[in-house]
Amino acid sequence: MTTMYLEPRNFREVFGHLGALWRQEGPIRFLRIAWNLGHEPSPAGAMWKFGLVLFAATFGFSLFMLFTQGHAAFNTSSDGVNWGMAIATYAFFALMSSGLTMIAALPMVFGFKQFYPIAKRCIWLSIVTLIAGFSVLAMELGHPFRMLWAIPTGMQVMSPMFWMGVFYTIDLILLTVKFYLLWQDDWDSGVSHLVGALGFGAVILASGMLGLVFGSMVMRPMWYGSFTSIFFMLTAALTGAAAIVLAVYMSFGFSRESMPEPLKSMAQGDDLPRVFATLIGITLVMVLTRMWTGLWSNLDGLEGFKALFASPLFHFQVWVCFALPMYLMLSNETRRGVAWQVLSAILVLLGMAINRYEFIVGGQLVPMFKGNWVNSLNAYSPSATEWALTLMGWGIGFFLYALGERLFRLHAAPPVGERSPQAVVSSH
Amino acid sequence: MPKWGMVIDLEKCVGCQACTVACGMENNRLPGEHWQDVIFFTEGEYPNTQTKWFPRPCMHCENPSCVAVCPTRATYKTEEGFVLVDWNRCIGCKYCMIACPYGVRFYTEEKAAYGGPNMKEVFPADDSHSWNPPWKMPDAREDWKHGVGVQPHDVVSKCTFCHHRVTKAPPGTADLDPQDPKTREFTPACVVTCAPGARFFGDLSNPDSQVNKLIANKNGVRLLDHLGNKPQVYYLTGEGGSVPSGRALKKS
Repeated sequence: MTTMYLEPRNFREVFGHLGALWRQEGPIRFLRIAWNLGHEPSPAGAMWKFGLVLFAATFGFSLFMLFTQGHAAFNTSSDGVNWGMAIATYAFFALMSSGLTMIAALPMVFGFKQFYPIAKRCIWLSIVTLIAGFSVLAMELGHPFRMLWAIPTGMQVMSPMFWMGVFYTIDLILLTVKFYLLWQDDWDSGVSHLVGALGFGAVILASGMLGLVFGSMVMRPMWYGSFTSIFFMLTAALTGAAAIVLAVYMSFGFSRESMPEPLKSMAQGDDLPRVFATLIGITLVMVLTRMWTGLWSNLDGLEGFKALFASPLFHFQVWVCFALPMYLMLSNETRRGVAWQVLSAILVLLGMAINRYEFIVGGQLVPMFKGNWVNSLNAYSPSATEWALTLMGWGIGFFLYALGERLFRLHAAPPVGERSPQAVVSSH
Repeated sequence: MPKWGMVIDLEKCVGCQACTVACGMENNRLPGEHWQDVIFFTEGEYPNTQTKWFPRPCMHCENPSCVAVCPTRATYKTEEGFVLVDWNRCIGCKYCMIACPYGVRFYTEEKAAYGGPNMKEVFPADDSHSWNPPWKMPDAREDWKHGVGVQPHDVVSKCTFCHHRVTKAPPGTADLDPQDPKTREFTPACVVTCAPGARFFGDLSNPDSQVNKLIANKNGVRLLDHLGNKPQVYYLTGEGGSVPSGRALKKS
């Protein structure tokens, strides 16, 4: 018997299909099909399994550590680094999400129609990475559930963190609405355009506000200034660009041959590497100028820059993770090559992960008035639990992305001429 | 309405850290969780060096940056000038610890100080407190809305200016003098215990208070005044004492 499951067009169909599959196949086979994310092996199926296993292992471990040791399982301390790798991971994912929305806005708000084939995928990934970021943050907070009532009832409008929460919540709602509209193939209605434009506004405010969480802190001069806000917005765009390049190739088994047509010609073209190289260049300038002013000034509290400059991670980030990919994306020989694009995307993501960590942890290296009790700079390295939370974010990203890939026709673009063929979760 | 403030005379302070111990006993602090710490620092280069020190409670700033950043209003400033944490609202985001220029805030869930033993495991609580110290203030004095007592898990704690003592002072009191039997029991524990009498506590809004006279006559200074937080704790440096101009310990 061959059964064909068409792609769901709305939530009723999602649950209808799942119910039908359950009744036809029975619970055991249903679970096996779900585990394989369909009847046949696929890149999405591999990502789904990898993501689920990674999530289950890291979530289980960090939950166990939090129940047995509490947040003492972190290596953060009141006398040293207060915000550790979990916050850096949250910022990494939240800004990746913002960047993906910015990339999606290129075709949907600013009329660069050649990027339409990745727009829907960007929006889905944006939702997914925001969920990953929030999940890591929830595990870092002392009382995540109390937050749900204490922030709305507190209404502390002076707090950058309050506004960060407001704008990211608006962002998540608009992303969800926009994705639903794209799911319904509503690319061009007035409402769809309006939601897209509002979403772009929200994401600029959200990423900028996340920057101000750090940039408002005059007592932490390594963070202070409106530069931090601009830096977060522009590096968000770079992270989003790298994420979408990697995600597209992962979904098609690192081969352009299996891509549907509009996506294939976009991936072969020059526009994507150009955007990518430009964003890397902007980031490189910002990272280096920030380091210059940090090293140059005698201001009390900037001593951390010397430590950052002396760290091999900084130079790895600048030369290997940013300068090399920029060269690869500018050079005529390499910028269209699949392997070079994938390598560049991976390096840039690694570089941005290092950068978020360096920015957030590095900004706390100079002790706050501890005199001789704390010598020189604070020492910090993430604990096993903090590493697990970072990997948990990646696990969530992988399995939710795979789910979207299988359910929502992420390569869909506005119909031009012939409709692209519908993918199917098919048959045995 | 009083505006409580503290004056610390660094010419008298001998760096004995009795204030740190008294605060720990009064407020049931864990080892290392020093709401009232004494900071030692060095100045100069070998062979011309000096070791100096200054006690550092919470500054209970007039413009507290910790209050402005708290997304839930768990940290707040009262009309009498106390900066406090409501442990029923705190979500443990630690933003206030990031925003405090003086490093006076403490997160409950941390590894045991000085390599242990972990007092929270030695004296575990069977209720929502983070631990159950063998000696603690009477339950009636515990006040989580004002951050007084043994705190619950996963919140931030800080010096309360001994809110539970000071707020019992009769209205109109200008100075809380530990030498005066009438005000001694309302005076913060660190002030009461200070053997050389280096600490003074009183009403900064009362022009006749001793703290105001000391600040005016002996040139009271505030820590990191350029940041604009305007501490309500003043230091008298005189001829022998000093406060560092910056927070960093330079190793140039």
